[in-house]
Amino acid sequence: MKNKLFAALGAGLLMAGLAITPSLVEAKDSGFKIMMTPKWTGFPYFELTGEGAKAAAKELGDELIYAGADHAEASLQVETLQNFVTQKPDGIILSAIDLNAVAPVLKNARKKGIAVATYDADAAVPARDMFVNQLSYEQAARVMLDCALIDVPEGGEIAFIAASPTSPNHMAHIKIMTNLTQTEDKYKVFKVVDTQFANDDDAKSYDVAVNLMQAHPNLKVIISSSAVSAPAAARAIEASGHVGKVYATGFALPSAIKRYLENGSEKAFAFWDPWELGYVTAYALHEKMAGKFQPTEGAVLTVEKVGTFKTAKDGEVVYGKPLIFTKDTVEKYKF
Amino acid sequence: MSMRTRTAIPTWELVLCVLIVAAGVWSSKLSPYYLSIDQIFESTRHFIIPGLLALGLAMVVSTGEIDISLASIVAVGTVALSKLAAAGFSIYVAAPIVIVIGALCGTLNGVLVARYGLPSLAVTLGTMGAYRGLAFIVGSEVGYTDFDDSFLWIGSEKLFGDIVPISFCVFVTAAIGVWLLMHRTFFGRHCFSIGLNPDASWFAGVEVVKVKIRTYALAGALAGIAALVWVGQYGSARGDNADGSILFVVTAVVLGGMDINGGRGTISGVVLSLLLLGTIRNGMGLANFGGPTQTVVLGVLLVGGVLRPALAATLARLRRHTSDKQAGA
Amino acid sequence: MSGAIGAVGASRQFTKFVLRMRETGVLVFLAILGIAFSLLTSTFFTVQNITAVASSAAILAIAACAQAIVLLTRNLDVSVGSMMGFAAYLTADFAATHPGISPIVLVFIPMGIGLVLGTINGLLVAYGKVQALIATLGTMSLYRGLIYIYAHGQEVTSSRLPHWLLGFIDARISGIPVLVMLAVGIVVVVSLFLQYFPLGRRIYAVGSNPVASFFFGLRSERIVLLAYMLCGLLCGVAGFLYAVRVGTVTVVLASGWEMSSLAAAVIGGVSVAGGSGTVIGAALGAVVLATIDNGLVLLNVSEFWRMFIQGAAIVAAVAADAMIASSIGGAFYARRPR
Repeated sequence: MKNKLFAALGAGLLMAGLAITPSLVEAKDSGFKIMMTPKWTGFPYFELTGEGAKAAAKELGDELIYAGADHAEASLQVETLQNFVTQKPDGIILSAIDLNAVAPVLKNARKKGIAVATYDADAAVPARDMFVNQLSYEQAARVMLDCALIDVPEGGEIAFIAASPTSPNHMAHIKIMTNLTQTEDKYKVFKVVDTQFANDDDAKSYDVAVNLMQAHPNLKVIISSSAVSAPAAARAIEASGHVGKVYATGFALPSAIKRYLENGSEKAFAFWDPWELGYVTAYALHEKMAGKFQPTEGAVLTVEKVGTFKTAKDGEVVYGKPLIFTKDTVEKYKF
Repeated sequence: MSMRTRTAIPTWELVLCVLIVAAGVWSSKLSPYYLSIDQIFESTRHFIIPGLLALGLAMVVSTGEIDISLASIVAVGTVALSKLAAAGFSIYVAAPIVIVIGALCGTLNGVLVARYGLPSLAVTLGTMGAYRGLAFIVGSEVGYTDFDDSFLWIGSEKLFGDIVPISFCVFVTAAIGVWLLMHRTFFGRHCFSIGLNPDASWFAGVEVVKVKIRTYALAGALAGIAALVWVGQYGSARGDNADGSILFVVTAVVLGGMDINGGRGTISGVVLSLLLLGTIRNGMGLANFGGPTQTVVLGVLLVGGVLRPALAATLARLRRHTSDKQAGA
Repeated sequence: MSGAIGAVGASRQFTKFVLRMRETGVLVFLAILGIAFSLLTSTFFTVQNITAVASSAAILAIAACAQAIVLLTRNLDVSVGSMMGFAAYLTADFAATHPGISPIVLVFIPMGIGLVLGTINGLLVAYGKVQALIATLGTMSLYRGLIYIYAHGQEVTSSRLPHWLLGFIDARISGIPVLVMLAVGIVVVVSLFLQYFPLGRRIYAVGSNPVASFFFGLRSERIVLLAYMLCGLLCGVAGFLYAVRVGTVTVVLASGWEMSSLAAAVIGGVSVAGGSGTVIGAALGAVVLATIDNGLVLLNVSEFWRMFIQGAAIVAAVAADAMIASSIGGAFYARRPR
């Protein structure tokens, strides 16, 4: 308790010295208490977003606490959020498991003056102030199809692996990708043949990938928005002797797919920088709490060292910096 | 045997009470936010759904059977409620229907287990998947959220000066009801006697099959009520509702002193163990303990809590053994 | 007393017969599934697809075999998935940080870890007298929580694992994946041990009638401990194979496998009431689950129906098993009053 007080005091003094722009609102300028919960803790992707957010908080003189259950269960996440609200933070950051289940507790938090930002996966719109979206659904769909084009320029049959039919972003990606293959000339070379579900489970993804290759002998590309399923599909292709005939692509951490890019069994995967996503989210929330940024349509958020981000409808701040990893570029990324 | 039952169980409940107080003290040390009536009542919300399931499971376990499909029945219930709400039924019609659907799911388990003598763990492992699948098939991939306020009332409103959540009152009512049923009626006695010795109970004229089916039906009905609370609290009905919570429910029941082989245990023990688990989770949550640490603590507590009486019994047996020897000599 | 021994002797023929029947039951079910899928799709009954199903089933078969041994003693192990994850993560982490490690040493690490974890379970159940479900529920959380804390938000990725390791598991000998051969070998060895070694047979004895085996002079504690140790050992192996197969080793590896292994064992005719069933049946149960998964993907059936069908298959298997048991064994096998 004492330590926290000193930290806050120190941070406050530090910021008092640094403060150049006088705030328009009476609200304080820094020393905010931010609490953050991912879908589940212990998964490298979320840990990286947590580290990014912590770094931003440290630079801005805020305190950031990162906690959560060790498996993705909506009711546990609500419990975590309720515990957060009790501790009277200034802001909450989360990646929602069930966009509606978290809504009541978040609305309650906002009533108490707590600013709420979602990242990675959104909550119901009235339940949060802003959503820092890594990539818009359309952008994500295009990036994945572009990767598929790198794999197989001549096109062919493609199949999807999603986490579950209840994961909104995966389902939206699949819908848009399916649309694009019917409407846009560039992508018309592809034909969508199947969608399967693997619950973000690696063994299940592996088996589903194998089964997809059995079910569709002419299958060319397996696409997955799940960072668990995409590497598992790549491994399944390598192990079942389909190298060169079928490709896997989609979103994956570069460390997880480095092997396949380097040994030539795969050509391209995509992702974004999770550290930076966490950084931008915490930064945006800080600016909102300090009264320097209102997430209304068209508003621009300037994040020092990273860039500027536009706000779309409904407080959606689009981070929108996709990365494509190929054999030559994968070495650069350290996550 | 009955002597031991009578003396051993209150002791266990006393241990639980002591542990709850200890956990409360520990929690208030961990976090300055813990010690507040508002906060504590608010935190009970998260234990209403597993709590209702635990009450139902306790009844099933008292007869020496088990039901791990209860969390899936909750999902069937929430999805059914969403369909009824979408069809324009009022909550007063929809709620009883959902409870009946829960009871029917439970009855099916009960018939398979009791009437056909199938092993309950295996049967409910199967129906766990089947009911979950059914919830998904009926609910389709998108969840339903357009519940009007009358559906949310049970989970969102509070009574008595805006302090006590209604869902908490629901749980207390259910707990008292189940306690009366299990400890003050013939039905309850029959349950425990079946758990202790099914053959002897049958010869004594207990309708073993009927009693067992009734426990399953009641557990299913409680899961139906839990589904109402789920929708009330979270306003969301999807096929994956309450997925993965059954192990916590089983933990609460066995930590409450219910013998998993049946015949022994009390409902008050189960309620106390829920309080204990709730207090510990609340305290650790407020202190922002990581999920893994919480998991380890719960695991140690479970093993340690159950190992201790076993150790005590062993020690007592050894002592008796040596004193017998001395007396013999 | 002599009457009781006589009954045990006479029932041995009986038991053997029933056991054989149990496996026949799974095989018939498997054949029906196979024929149905072959008729419905053109892709099911191909060498390539059968191989794919077999390698999908291989690791679950080992886990189911582990679960079956414990079930035979009238106990249960819900920490199967956590033990697999624990052994897999530690071994993969070790292999990643010691790239030069000799293959033979590496294989013993997961086995050793599994053995230790299984021994803890066994001691709790056999000597601590904690009910199996409670003890293993506790260790399930405990083991899983410890991996999380150890891993500290990291995972072991395929590029960090030794290349020969991944290559070895992908290899095929005359078309048959090494993984499948390993699984078959393990299941056969365990099966022979249970059927023909006195120690193995005692596992059946303790499970089918604890009181009789006590009077017969069997030390049930030791045998239960042995069953849990074997289970841990096999889980260690299964976890290691899982890690190498999937390539990316995460902290959640094999979570939920306590249920899958139980489902496979139950479908394979292993009785949760102890004493009857075989590990070969359990392994066949794993094949049934893999076949259902594969066939439904080939048929392009929705995920929802897959869950429903798998659940229904478990209930059907249990019901069929009970029917076979009651029609043959009648009074001998009926444990519950009607």
